[in-house]
Amino acid sequence: MGKHVVVIGAGVAGMEAAGRLSRNGLEVTLLEKESVAGGHINDWFRLFPDRRDSNEVREYLINLSSDPKIQLKTGASVDKLTRHGSSYLLTTDAGENINADAVVVATGFSLFRSSRKEEYGYGIYENVISSADLEKLFISGEIVISSGKAPQRIGIVHCVGSRDEKVGNLYCSKLCCVTAVKQAIEIKEHLPDSEVFCFYMDMRMGGALYEELYREAQEKWGVNFIRGKVSEASETIDGKIVVKVEDTLAGRPLKMDIDMLVLMAGMEMSEGGSKLAATSGLKTGENRFFASADHHFGSNISNLEGVFFAGTCIAPMNVTETISHARAAVTEVMEYFSNNNR
Amino acid sequence: MDNLFDKLMEDIRFEEGLNACMNCGVCTAICPAAEFYSYDPRKIVDIVQSRNNELIEDLLKSEQIWYCGECMSCKTRCPRGNAPGLIIMALRGLSQDLGYFTESEKGRQQLAIKRTIGESILNTGYCVYIDGISPEFHPEQGPTWEWVHENRVDLIERLGGNYKGDGPGILRKIPQETLDELKKIFEVTGGLERYEKIESYSKKKAAEMNLDFDEGIDNEYFSHIYKTNNGSHTR
Repeated sequence: MGKHVVVIGAGVAGMEAAGRLSRNGLEVTLLEKESVAGGHINDWFRLFPDRRDSNEVREYLINLSSDPKIQLKTGASVDKLTRHGSSYLLTTDAGENINADAVVVATGFSLFRSSRKEEYGYGIYENVISSADLEKLFISGEIVISSGKAPQRIGIVHCVGSRDEKVGNLYCSKLCCVTAVKQAIEIKEHLPDSEVFCFYMDMRMGGALYEELYREAQEKWGVNFIRGKVSEASETIDGKIVVKVEDTLAGRPLKMDIDMLVLMAGMEMSEGGSKLAATSGLKTGENRFFASADHHFGSNISNLEGVFFAGTCIAPMNVTETISHARAAVTEVMEYFSNNNR
Repeated sequence: MDNLFDKLMEDIRFEEGLNACMNCGVCTAICPAAEFYSYDPRKIVDIVQSRNNELIEDLLKSEQIWYCGECMSCKTRCPRGNAPGLIIMALRGLSQDLGYFTESEKGRQQLAIKRTIGESILNTGYCVYIDGISPEFHPEQGPTWEWVHENRVDLIERLGGNYKGDGPGILRKIPQETLDELKKIFEVTGGLERYEKIESYSKKKAAEMNLDFDEGIDNEYFSHIYKTNNGSHTR
């Protein structure tokens, strides 16, 4: 057909979409603002629910998107997207103009900046870290706190930046609960003598094998789950973190000393996505993610003809869902081209 | 009987304070009163949002609506934008209107607050004025307070105050026209009417309890409500 598609973002969705488009005989330009492809998966050690090595998924995506028909351009973000007749003109931040017969937006998500919930002390107390920071510790192979010692008591706060009117995010990011469970188990694997406490509002285990993992965390690893939202964290003179929470099932307010607090940062519309929305006329919804044409049967379709969505730029999704959604976007692109050729 | 939830909804503070609670407990976790008293603001919000008339009536007659210090810390934390502190204010107002406050030990102390702080504002312009802090009723002031209280004229002068004096200075006399203005505010906003309700319901309760009731603080009922503690308030 000789059609050319630009895919914006080389994370899981973008790499999957690019690979599937090229398999269908299309020329693809894959744009990535970072210096390497991969997206958030590059920063994650193991993936839920089976704790597989994230490198395996990354290798799959690299193999899929390594095709002569795909040109990967890293260090490039899109400044402008404008319609020209039946095609689009994209201008990168380097001033390069690229023509596209169709565009797949795969700009993904940003992790919630935990310092915005200042009552949890992220960026103030050294031993308050985010879920992403903990993955880095897992990659390094050593879980230590600021004193250089291994933590004995670890607290995990769910819903940081999710389901919270105070930060303007009313939605559930839906992956932080299972991430908390996964990370709690990994902490126990590294430090069998430690105690881990998860502070949750509701356990949202709505994915394949999530509930089983939750049960394993309790039965096999002895992870403690306390139902209550943490109101604040403070630091003692010897560097311990004090958290205040109500155990709502017992109806009792608690004050607990712990050595390390891990914040389960939620997912937000990416900065790149927001910038693209502002300059392209692509519509966003209440939660600031891109708004699909139809929630049930048009989730890949945007308000601009020939521009399609793939992955977490429309809502929080796990890797499995992201890959499926990217493949669906490719189906929409193929149908768009065959209709336009008729 | 009235639908108490509807009555509460007539109060702007209630409407503002209650959206939808998901029982996360962050209000209780941040609440300074909950740390000390047998008090759980989350449960109060859960009861009012149930709209159960009997449970709300129990709440209006309970001890627990009187523990809150109205610091509003809860409002700063709630992820759903509720404000348990505002809900408490509405519950207290309705409990006073209906006379239910006399059914609890902490509720009955509304009369003590009215006759001490409440009247002090109108008579002196101060919520708390040194004359009203008698050693008998304020043992928490410690063993030297009796001496301080007795020698307050000389002591305040030595400390550079202006006790009951004209012009500026600490503990100065508040001019009559300012007091008149204050009283007008209480009249227009319904504060005085509330004072009267507290008085009349308390008088009724005193009769029920067979305790002498009179003006001021030197009578059986006042002494009883001020000094009785059933020991069940704290955790």
